[in-house]
Parts: sequence; structure tokens; C-alpha cells
Amino acid sequence: MNTKRLTTITALCFLMPNFLGFCIFTLGPVLFSLGASFTNWNLMKTVPLLWVWLDNYVKLFQQPEFWLYFVNTGYLMLGMPIAIAGSLLFAVLLSQKLRGVVVYRTLFYLPSFTSGVALLILWKALYNPTYGPINLFLERLSDSLGVAGFQAPEWLASTKNLLSLGYERVELVAGQFGLGARDAIIIMGIWTAVGGGNMLLYLAGISNIPSDLYEAADIDGAGTWTKFRHVTWPQLAPTTFFIVIMSFIGGLQGGFEQARVMTLGGPAGTTTTLSYYIYTKAFEEFQIGYASSIAWVLFLLVFGVTMLNWRFGSRYVNY
Amino acid sequence: MKYLFLGSFAAMSLLSVVAWLWRPAVTDDGKIDLVWVSDDNPVRREQIELFNRLYPTYRLRLDPGQGTWEKVIVQCLAGVGPDLFDCYNGFQLMAYVRSGAALDVTEAWAERGMKLDEVWPCLTPLFADGDRIYGHPDNTHAPAVWYNKALFDAAGIPYPAPDWTWDDCIEIARKLTVRDARDRPVQFGLMMARLEWPAVFLAQWGGRMYTPEGTRCILDSPEGVAGLQFAMDLIHKYRVMPNWTEELAMATAGGWGMGPISMFGAGRGAMAIGGRWWLCMLRNKDYKGLRLGAVTLPKGPYDRVFGGGRSTLVNANSKHIEGALCFLEYMHGEYWNQLINHQADALGPVIKYHYGEYEAEFLHNPEHPEEDYNATWRTALEKAEITEVSPYVNGQAVDRVMLQETDKAWANLKSARETLTDVTGKVNREIVEVLRRDPVLRSRYYQDLARGARPAWDREEDAP
Repeated sequence: MNTKRLTTITALCFLMPNFLGFCIFTLGPVLFSLGASFTNWNLMKTVPLLWVWLDNYVKLFQQPEFWLYFVNTGYLMLGMPIAIAGSLLFAVLLSQKLRGVVVYRTLFYLPSFTSGVALLILWKALYNPTYGPINLFLERLSDSLGVAGFQAPEWLASTKNLLSLGYERVELVAGQFGLGARDAIIIMGIWTAVGGGNMLLYLAGISNIPSDLYEAADIDGAGTWTKFRHVTWPQLAPTTFFIVIMSFIGGLQGGFEQARVMTLGGPAGTTTTLSYYIYTKAFEEFQIGYASSIAWVLFLLVFGVTMLNWRFGSRYVNY
Repeated sequence: MKYLFLGSFAAMSLLSVVAWLWRPAVTDDGKIDLVWVSDDNPVRREQIELFNRLYPTYRLRLDPGQGTWEKVIVQCLAGVGPDLFDCYNGFQLMAYVRSGAALDVTEAWAERGMKLDEVWPCLTPLFADGDRIYGHPDNTHAPAVWYNKALFDAAGIPYPAPDWTWDDCIEIARKLTVRDARDRPVQFGLMMARLEWPAVFLAQWGGRMYTPEGTRCILDSPEGVAGLQFAMDLIHKYRVMPNWTEELAMATAGGWGMGPISMFGAGRGAMAIGGRWWLCMLRNKDYKGLRLGAVTLPKGPYDRVFGGGRSTLVNANSKHIEGALCFLEYMHGEYWNQLINHQADALGPVIKYHYGEYEAEFLHNPEHPEEDYNATWRTALEKAEITEVSPYVNGQAVDRVMLQETDKAWANLKSARETLTDVTGKVNREIVEVLRRDPVLRSRYYQDLARGARPAWDREEDAP
């Protein structure tokens, strides 16, 4: 056996455990779910397993609730740009030579390593429309400002939203304008995300920017904003590109924990996202075949959006 | 840095050794372990200890998992399920049975001399389907009204009498509803978990969820609409019950027990529609000093109420079926029923333990002499009807539709009629979908139609 062949076999042996794990626990279930999406599988022994081919997909696109939940998913992603901008702002601030910067970094990162469910329960209490600290603060503020007839938002109890989306189907309804459950989840998401992994990625990106670029900018008389605009921001383009792609993927798959812990998908289904819809169909109603078809539509959606990002977003990455 | 990693590795290795040395010894006492998936109600411990004493061959332990029935089905089918698991409604029973997770114990009942007519009739859908039996009920309840005597006394209002009407109830509740300067509720006259509206208002206004065979949802009947409308009026017109936002404000974060119970116990509600099982929480020292009374529901147009409870089923793939059957036998006997009545975990499932030689002990618990209202819960149960389910639709899907649509009624976004028309339409469409997928059910359905049952569709072209 020659050395090259031996090296290859050795490499394969090292790769095999991981590859086998990937096949058994990832690739296998993924392909299985693809097959299941063309069946009527519902875990019931009395229902013969049949190939229904595209029936699940056809039914899915005909369901108004699917489109409502699709829009919910998209709506919850509206906070994404603010979260990314906030992460960048925090990263820039925390990359300064400040006293106790490590403490600040830890504090900002705190939401990321705190138990997710604990945070959701905490926010649920904060959003309590009658006794929650947020509304009590808003009411005190309105009193001190002398705002007559102020009505604090009902947060998780309200179907209202800032785009006036309806709660029955995908439509605009005038009386629906306001702050409601979807906005509450967005605000909470921003709070969680600004100091999270994105901030760390930006911090790492900033620390990798060569200092001579800033020195050159200083020599040219550039101010803080100019340096950020023409040095930091372009140099961070690969990081931003990565963060945007990951945020899109996470956003499209998101909303499950919030729905499960805080709202059960309500009120009136307004916080049900595609991932929570998959869960209810698969594990509450046992329509595994149908749920698999939703999962594959979601996958195609994620794949398509990611491809679009690669196609058009990468134009802005010059480094 | 490498010393840090090496140090961490050494510390973890050391801790692993310590953990290994401290591991609990495997007890080889010859006992057979049984696992029961139930809720983590604190009274469960005593129920388990008693079984373990009475059946020393077995060692029963609790796997707390309220509301995790989907997981139980998957576990049972995978061969790693518990020996016993709880079932909370007829929908779940059907899912357990049709998935093959629940064992048919009809013959075991007969062998042990247990008879169906010995348990409260409203419990049947929780453990039996047709002439087949799949488990045993744990406890049972029918709603009645709790009242806080201190709040009544402070307001100088006499306690409600058993022959009271809803008009009386509204009048009392209005007097006992207190709001602050911002119109925020400080105290409610009446409280109720929203999801329980059918058990009270649908029943008392003469509505039905399904046709008798379960072939069609008829929730949008004039009686059903009137029932929901009255519940909505209590919230929006009379303002004596919490609205949508206020109920959310009262909801607890989770765990055993519900928002309305803790809020009622804390004196934020003068009356509350609930069950005897609330005592499992309200006997807690946190509520010491709470003086309670209970009275049957106010008279509605019909003298009806829907009862419910909980049952325990046996895993068809259990390795210890004999032990699991012993548990069912235990639940049918005197020890279990007396214990349930004593603990106030609702009422025991077997009727005879509430009357005759057992009556005095049921009515007057010497450890809780202040509880002089036990007859109320028995009276409520005597007139309780079976909570209706349909074998032709997945209960979880119905629950989801009901929750989503009635949200709009509680929030006053839709009228009672619009809400129930939507619920009915969606449930009937779901029935048609189920029939399309399931040839066994379809065949049974058409047999019902041949016997004169109403179909879920109005136009022939919509038939599955």
C-alpha cells in the first residue's frame, strides 16, 4: 500500500465517525421527512400509509392559515435590521479602549447565555398589560406628561400591529394599527439579539481591521464618522454578509419558543410562525406527512432567500 | 492557556470520579419498577406511596409530564414508553387508542370484577370507546362556584344560595367587582378559565358540540350562540369577569395550578367557577386564613353541566402489564377513592365511595372541618353529562380552532354568532379532511349516516 493511499484511508477513518453520525442523525431524517411529505402518514394504525404525492403541498398552498403564518414569520423578521444595527453599534462602542470594557461585554452578552425559557417568562411578566412594569411605567409617564386618555398597549393580548395586518387572513385592516403581540416579540427579539453572537462577530471583525487603515485615515484628516463610513463599514462587509444570511435563516425558522412559552401562537394565531405551525401539525395533530411538507416548503424558502443573498448581497463584499 | 485547559480537564476528571463513587446503588430488592406519566400535583406522592405499600411487588414512580401526551405516544410506539399514562379527554383517548399506544383492558376489568356502571357516567369517554375499555378513571369533577366568605362578609352580602339564578349571580358579582381610578380590576366578582366556557355556558344554554353520533359539529346552534353570548356579556356588558387582557394579566407562568386559582386564593376574586380539585392548591399554607364556600352553579335555561376528569391508561407495549393492571385495580378500590376524596383531588371515580357507609367521611373530613361544602361537588357531579367528543376529528385540531376563534370573541373582535359559525365551519371541514385520509373512519362514518346521522357537509360535492 503506497503512502498516499494509506494517508487517504487514515483520513477517512478519522472522518468516518462524524460522517456516520451525520448520515444517521441528519441526512437520514432529512431524506425521510422528504419522503414523508408525499404520504398521508399520521401515526394512526387504522390509516393505511399511502403515497399522496403532491396533495399535501397543494392543500398547504390552499390553506389561508398557511399564508397568515407565513406573513407572521416575515413580520417577526422586521426587527432584524434594527438588531443587526444595534449589534454593530454595541461592537463599535465596546471595541473602544474603555475602562471595564470586559464587564460591559459580559453584561451585553448576558441574554445570550441566560436560559431562553427563563427570559421568555420574564418578558411575559414585563408585558403583563395590567400589572407589568412596562405598562405601569408608560402610565406613570403619561400621567406626568399630562397625556389625557392614554391607553397602554395590550402587548401579548392584542392582535394589533404596526402594519395593520388582519388576524383572519392576509389583508390590511384599519382598526388593527397599534402595538400588539407580534411587536412585543420583535422588541424582545431585538433586546436579545443586539448583545448576542452578532455583537461578538462584529467585535472580532473590528479587531481584525488593520490599524494602518485608521492611521492613513487620520493622516487624511478623517473624522470619526468618516472613518466608520469608509474604513470600518467596508471592512466589516464579510461579517455583515454572514450575519445577514444567518439572521435570515434564523428568522425564517424562528418564533417557536416564543409561541410555545408566551402565547401558544395567539392571540387568534397572530404569533404562530411556520415553525410553530409545523410543531402543532406534527406533534399535536399527528399529521406527520402534512407537517413534513410545511417543513420542506420552509426549507426551500430558506434556501431561496439564502441564494438570493449570495447572488445579490455578495456584490457589496469587496474584501 | 494550556495549563488552564489541562487544569480544567483534570478537575472535570476528578469530579467524574467523585460522581461515579457517589452514584446511587442499584437496588436489587426484586421489585418491579413501574413508571406513571401524570401531572406533578403534590398529592401524587401519597397516591404512589399507598400503591407501593399495598402492592409490595411493585415500585411505582412518577414521571411528571402533564400535557405531554404527544411525547407519550411516540415513546410507546418506540417501545420506551411508560407503563401507565394519564388521559385528560376523549380526544386524547382516541389518539392513544388509534395509535396503538393504549392497551385494551376490557377483559382485565371483567376478571377483576370491575363494572363500568360503578364509575361516574361522565367519565366514560376518558377511558372507554364503545364497548372497549382502555384504562381507569383517576378522579372526576363537575364545575360549581367557589366563593370567598371574607369578601362577602366585608361587603355585607349574604352567601349565595343553591337555588340562585344568573341574575342573582350578576347582581352579587357587580357589587363585588372593584376597579381602581384607572378602571383596572382590583377584585373581580366572578372568575373562570376561558377554555371552560362550554362546560358551563354551552351546557346550561342547551347547546351541543356535536350531533349524537359525532358526525357533525353543531356548535353554532342558537343555543350554543346564546351560551357564548352570555359568557361574553359577563365580560363585556356586565364587566364582572376578567376580559381577555385581564385574564392574561392573571395567568401564572406555568407549572401545576392555574392563574384563576392563585388569583382567587389571593382574594382577587369573590367567586370563581371551578372544581373541588382547586383545594389541592387552596389548602396550601400560602392561602391560610382563606374562608371558602361552594355552591352549585346558578340556574340557567337548562339544568345541565359537562363533567370531566382524568384517567390512566396502560401502555400496550409495557413490559409490566400485570403491574399496570394492578394499578387500575387499585384505582377502583376503597383505598384510592378514599384517598382522592381525602386529598380533595376532585372526587374519587367510583360512585359508591360517596354514599352510604362512606358518606360521612366524604362529607366531613376531620382534618378539614371547615370544608362543609363537599355535598355541593357531589350534587354537581350527579347532574353532569359527558363532555362531547367526535370520533371523526382530531381533538387537538378542534382545540386549536376553538382557541384561535374564541380569542376573537373574548377580545370583542367578533360576535358570538360569527365566532361559532367560523368554529363550526372549520371543525366540519376538518372532519371531512379526516374522513378523506382514514378509510376505516370513513366506513364507520357512512354507517352512521345510513342510520340517519347528519353529515359534516351541506353540499354533496363536498363529501369525502
